[in-house]
Amino acid sequence: MSYRKIAKSQELRAKRKRSCAFFIENIIQVLVIIRPDRIIQFLFRMLSGLDSPIKSGNDKNKNTGSFSRFLRSYGILIFALCYMLFASVVDARVKGKCKDCHSMHYSNEGKEMTYGNRQGPFPALTQGGCIGCHGQNPNGTKSIITNGKTRIPQILHHLQNDNLAGGNFYYVADEYNPDYSKGHNIKGISRQENPPMDVPPAFMKNVLIPGGTGPAYWPGQQQLTCAGTWGCHGNRTIEDPGSSIHGAHHADDSIIDGSTVGKSYRFLYGIKGKEHSDWEYMASINNHNGYRGNIDHVAIDTISYLCGECHGKFHPNPNLGGITEVGHAYNSVWHRHPSDISFNTVHGGFANSEYEGYIQYSLDTPVAFEKPTGGEDSVNADSIIMCLSCHRSHASRYTNILRWDYANMTAQDNKARTGCITCHTKKGHE
Amino acid sequence: MQKKIRLIINILFLCQVVIILYSGICIAEVGGDCNSCHALYPGLTEKPSLVKPFTYVNREIFCINCHSHNTSDTIKTIGGNKVPVVFSNVKPVYPLAGGNFYYVARDFSDRKGHNVNGITSRDSKFTGFPPGYSRTLDPSMRGYNPGKPLACAGSNGCHGNRNIEDSFEAIYGTHHAVDKPLDGSTTARSYRYLKNTDRVKGVTGLEDSEWNWNGTSSRHNEYSPSLDVFCESCHGDFHNKDKAGKNGAWFRHPTGIPLPDKGEYAAYNIYNLDAPVSREVLPQKPGDVVVAGKDTVTCLSCHMAHSSPYANVLRWDYDDIFTGEEGKGGCLICHTGK
Repeated sequence: MSYRKIAKSQELRAKRKRSCAFFIENIIQVLVIIRPDRIIQFLFRMLSGLDSPIKSGNDKNKNTGSFSRFLRSYGILIFALCYMLFASVVDARVKGKCKDCHSMHYSNEGKEMTYGNRQGPFPALTQGGCIGCHGQNPNGTKSIITNGKTRIPQILHHLQNDNLAGGNFYYVADEYNPDYSKGHNIKGISRQENPPMDVPPAFMKNVLIPGGTGPAYWPGQQQLTCAGTWGCHGNRTIEDPGSSIHGAHHADDSIIDGSTVGKSYRFLYGIKGKEHSDWEYMASINNHNGYRGNIDHVAIDTISYLCGECHGKFHPNPNLGGITEVGHAYNSVWHRHPSDISFNTVHGGFANSEYEGYIQYSLDTPVAFEKPTGGEDSVNADSIIMCLSCHRSHASRYTNILRWDYANMTAQDNKARTGCITCHTKKGHE
Repeated sequence: MQKKIRLIINILFLCQVVIILYSGICIAEVGGDCNSCHALYPGLTEKPSLVKPFTYVNREIFCINCHSHNTSDTIKTIGGNKVPVVFSNVKPVYPLAGGNFYYVARDFSDRKGHNVNGITSRDSKFTGFPPGYSRTLDPSMRGYNPGKPLACAGSNGCHGNRNIEDSFEAIYGTHHAVDKPLDGSTTARSYRYLKNTDRVKGVTGLEDSEWNWNGTSSRHNEYSPSLDVFCESCHGDFHNKDKAGKNGAWFRHPTGIPLPDKGEYAAYNIYNLDAPVSREVLPQKPGDVVVAGKDTVTCLSCHMAHSSPYANVLRWDYDDIFTGEEGKGGCLICHTGK
């Protein structure tokens, strides 16, 4: 046997051992999460039943015992199958060939590689950086591209009506008749906006952010980036975009607790939430992103706080704009449209208010929840208004990155209850 | 008296053992019959004709004749000398540390090795400079000549003096020179005769006496970061920190930097011949332990020097390396978390 065959057989044995260890290791975790007492009891009964001798000697009992053994064995098999299916759902790390996303030396066949019109080299040895993977076919009509075993959400494409939850940078991309009012001007997609829009509107210096403090000032020449200090994703205390998100795609993100970039909602460091497996492609009212909100304004892990890290004066959290900029939190008149407040705390109270009319969860006007599951199909007094109730995060087809055309929002002329009227239901009546 | 004689005999015996062992490991100078090497190949010991002097169109043939073999054995014996085989005519069973040119010659795949003149034809795509070549990072006076093919040695090669164009002259006499200590002071005293020019220090390392033939985690070559600097001579852009990203995330896979002592890298503890590291301070003898934070990533952590069965002269099939799935080979030897 050649050394390669020996190595291969050893590798196979090791693989089997690893698979076995992986199964045992993970099944213990699952047992702990899902009512351990009952499952242990259930397994114990089944296993003890397999080994127990048949107490009675008559044929009838023998048959019954045999049948019950069969049932128990079958039960174990079903349990194992369920586990395998379940395991494949929770593990959302990037899978597949390294070569599908990375280029070791920014070189191919002796020449430097370019992706689209972008020249590298690109951070983290990626093929085209963030946009190389997440905007790999701007003229295409796919919002999710499968590369090997990895499904990659596209934030820059030409599919008009099926944008993902964050929106579509197509509307602000320089190569596609952009309108800069419709999205964030990300470096690599759009040029920087002219003053005063070269600095995030309502920017506040030195605000508290997960892991540290936000920038002391926003230099006029500093363009927005995907990640890092001048971006949204990754650890914003790290300036370099690549370093700020380094490793997140390979991290175990089965639990989104905001403790690391990988374990944060959409790699927005410190933010919690429930991620829809298809980034809201073909989402439904009971299967969507679950956004986290907090009406006490003590948490910095809400999706709206993330927006407030750059647009501070628009958020009522005392770390950000607070009362001065946004207005009194409860039962008062707002200076600016609030976020991270629930319908329960609006001026005059929820009962008999127009907000009672927003009953069924709307993908066009989503709300946040204190503990989101992504399966909420109804809206109630505790539902929380957030920045993303009105805006997309990346870009949209409407001015101010809104989810709807604000110019067409008319009070007392919107019985369909769309846009602003989704919440402000009484303002749509004639 | 008898005790004294016994003691002397024992001491002499021990000295003999030490000398034998020492010679087995360290002395690599070629000895033995001249005929074994020089008469084998026409031209080397023949007297030059007075009418028409010898002209050698391809001097690489001299290197290749000695260092190739018709069987799958990768160490052959000539005149009592063990000769490493770098080019086998049949598939090698145990390729040596540098790999075997069989894969670039027989598979007719340019991507599987360096297209050395005399072994295979010139690369169909890399017809000019080597990928990533930077003249400023090539210490040789001549620089790489894109008009000529890659050679074993000389200005367009790896071994010998790269200030000399002719590959045979570039390594002339090295096989008979004193090659210890391996301090990079001369070509012979450089690791595997890798020394760019007289003005720069040669590559240092520990040479396995059997060129890693059937090596183990405790018996192998030991590399030093000087090897990366050597590769930089022809592939400078891949090693230059300015072009690899020094302040943030890497643009190109780094070499010559310590394996990080945190995160996934800390789990690479046992030296693996499929992903060797280099030692900042060379040990006295080969070690089987990898110390994260101290041992460094080298070009040879991923690549073979001569040729390998895989594209890009890699030590493994990059197409078969998956993240987030089963498997621990290749890239995942260091990137254990992936």
